[in-house]
Amino acid sequence: MSGHQEEYAEDYTLQELLVVAASREVNDKEVVFVGVGIPCLGALVAKLTHAPNAILVVESGCIGATPYRLTLGIGDNACVENAICVTSLWRAFSDQQRGYFDLGMLGGAQVDKYGNLNSTAIFGNGDYYTPSARLPGSGGANDIAVSAKRTLVMMNQQKRRFLEKVDFVTSPGYLDGPGSRERNGYPGGGPAVIISNMAIFRFDKQTKEAYLDSVHPGITAEGVAREVSWDLKVSPNLKTTMPPTKKETEIIRILDSEKIYTGGGLKGLTFDNYMNMLDSSYEKLREMFK
Amino acid sequence: MNAEDSKKSLDKRMSLKEAISRFVFDGCSIAFSGMGGEQVVAPTYEIIRQGQKDMTLMGDSPCECADYLVGTGQLKRVEVAWLAFAVAGVSPNYRRAVEKGIPRKIDVREFSNYTMGLRFLAGAMGLPFMTTKSLIGSSIEKYNDMIKVIEDPYGGQKVAVVPAAIPDVAIVHVNRADKLGNAQFLGFSSNAENIARAAKRAIITCEEIVSTDKIKENPTFTTVPQYIVDAVVEVPYCSHPWNMCYAYAYDIPFHMEMMAEIETEDGFKRWMDKWAFGCKDHEQYCDKVGWSRLRKLTQVEKKFCICNC
Repeated sequence: MSGHQEEYAEDYTLQELLVVAASREVNDKEVVFVGVGIPCLGALVAKLTHAPNAILVVESGCIGATPYRLTLGIGDNACVENAICVTSLWRAFSDQQRGYFDLGMLGGAQVDKYGNLNSTAIFGNGDYYTPSARLPGSGGANDIAVSAKRTLVMMNQQKRRFLEKVDFVTSPGYLDGPGSRERNGYPGGGPAVIISNMAIFRFDKQTKEAYLDSVHPGITAEGVAREVSWDLKVSPNLKTTMPPTKKETEIIRILDSEKIYTGGGLKGLTFDNYMNMLDSSYEKLREMFK
Repeated sequence: MNAEDSKKSLDKRMSLKEAISRFVFDGCSIAFSGMGGEQVVAPTYEIIRQGQKDMTLMGDSPCECADYLVGTGQLKRVEVAWLAFAVAGVSPNYRRAVEKGIPRKIDVREFSNYTMGLRFLAGAMGLPFMTTKSLIGSSIEKYNDMIKVIEDPYGGQKVAVVPAAIPDVAIVHVNRADKLGNAQFLGFSSNAENIARAAKRAIITCEEIVSTDKIKENPTFTTVPQYIVDAVVEVPYCSHPWNMCYAYAYDIPFHMEMMAEIETEDGFKRWMDKWAFGCKDHEQYCDKVGWSRLRKLTQVEKKFCICNC
C-alpha cells in the first residue's frame, strides 16, 4: 500500500481514483499480467510509486516493458519498449500456467457473486447462438482467470452487470462456490478483488462470495447494494476507499495526458495532438522512470 | 506447383496479388499473425478485392482480417478467442453477423488466446492435440464440442484437450525476410512461429526484403526459417493503421475514423469502396493515407525503439 503518509489530492476524478485502487493491488516484485486501460495505468502507477520492481506482462508475449508513452493495447509498440524479454504468446501463457504470474487483471460485461465473468455474450431474450449483444470473447481472460495466482476484476457498477449468475462463464471465478476451483484442477487462486466505479469488493474465504469491503468517497453501502442483484454482505469493517495522493494524480496526468483512459476517451484525438502526445511523453516519462 | 516445390524455391518473391491468388482459395481455412498490433491488414484488403468465398478463419485475436471478412460475407466460420478492435472499439460486422445474420450467419467456435496458441503449436508439432488447464468448467467448454475434458492418463486431475489447427494457408507479417523466406521479427511474434509452421502454405509479408547475409548477422531473430515458406512479399506499412514494432507507431486517430464509419452496414460498404475497391493495390492505399503521415508514424517510433541490428 502506498500513500499512507503522503498528502492526498483534493481534486481528482473518479477514473483517477480507480487507477490508484488498481495500483494499490500490485505489490513490489510481482509478475502482473496486464490488460489495457485503467488497470494497465494502475500497474504503471504502481511501478512509479510503491512497486518499482513489478514486472508487467502482456498477451502478445512482451515481458517487463518500461514504456515512455501510454500503452495503447496489448500489442502496442510500447509493450516492447525497454522490455526484459520478448517471446511468444503461448510461451508467456505457459509461464502463467506453470505458476509464475502473481496477479492477472480482468474485466467483463457481467460478474456474479462468485466472481465469474462474462465477456462473451449478453443473452437478453435470446441465447448463446442468437444473443442480444455479442461481445468480443475471452481473448486471454479465461487463461488468466484459471492460472494467475490471484486476479483483479474491474467492472462498471450496475444491477444488470452484478448478477446472481452470469449468462456465460467466460472466465471462471469460484464457479458454484467453495471447492469448485479445486475440483476443476485450476492452478490459480481465483479473484481477490472487484473494483467498480462505486466500491471495492473482496471474497469471503469460506463462502467464496463477494462482499462489500470499501465504498468510494461520497458513496453509501445502501447505494452500492441497490446496484447489486444478489443479497450483498457488507464487511463489519467497511472502509472508505483512499483517494489518490497528489503524487499519484500527477503521475496519472502525465501518463495519460490526453485523457484517453481517464477522460473523454479517443473521440476528438487529432493526428497532430496524438503525435505531440507521443513526442512530449518520451522526455517526461524517461525522467520519471529514472 | 505442389507444396514441396514452392517451399524449396530459391526465390519466393512475388506480388501480394499473386501470392493471394495462388494460395488463398474458395473454401480454404486461413490464419493470420498479429496480436493487438502487427495485424495483417494489407493482405486482408487484397483478399477483399479478389473475393475468395466461404473461408474458415482460425485465429487468436484477429481484428480487420476477421471483422472485415465477416462484413464482406467471405467467412462462413471462425475459430477464435476474441474478435474486436481493442482500444479502438468492438467489432461491428461480427456483431451484425452473430446477432442478426447480416450479411450471413457464421459458425463460431470459441477458444481462448492460450488455447488457440496451443492449437497452432499442436499443428506445428504434427500432433493431433494439446492439453491445458484452461477452459475446464467454463461456458466456453460447454458450448464448443471441439474442446474435450479428459482425465490425466498418468493419474488424477482433469485436463482439457484442444485439437491441432492446420490452416490451408497462413499469412504472417514480419519486419524483414530474404527472398528464400527466412523471416525475422524484431519485436513480439505472438503465435506467428506456430501459425506459419502449422499451415500447409505460408505467405510471408515483410516491411523489407533484405539479403540473406543480413539475415545471417542475427539468426536468432529468424522466427520462421525458409523451408516453411511458400511466398515472400514486400509490403511496407502492411499493418497500418496498426503499429509494427521497430517500424511505425499505431495510427489510432485513423482507426477511430474507421470505427465511426463501419458502425453501420452502409458505412462499412463505403469504407470498403474507399480503401479496398477504391485502391488498385497497397501502394495506392498508402498514397491515399498519405506518405507524409506514414513517415511521421515511422519517425516518432524511432524516438522510442531503435534496432541497430
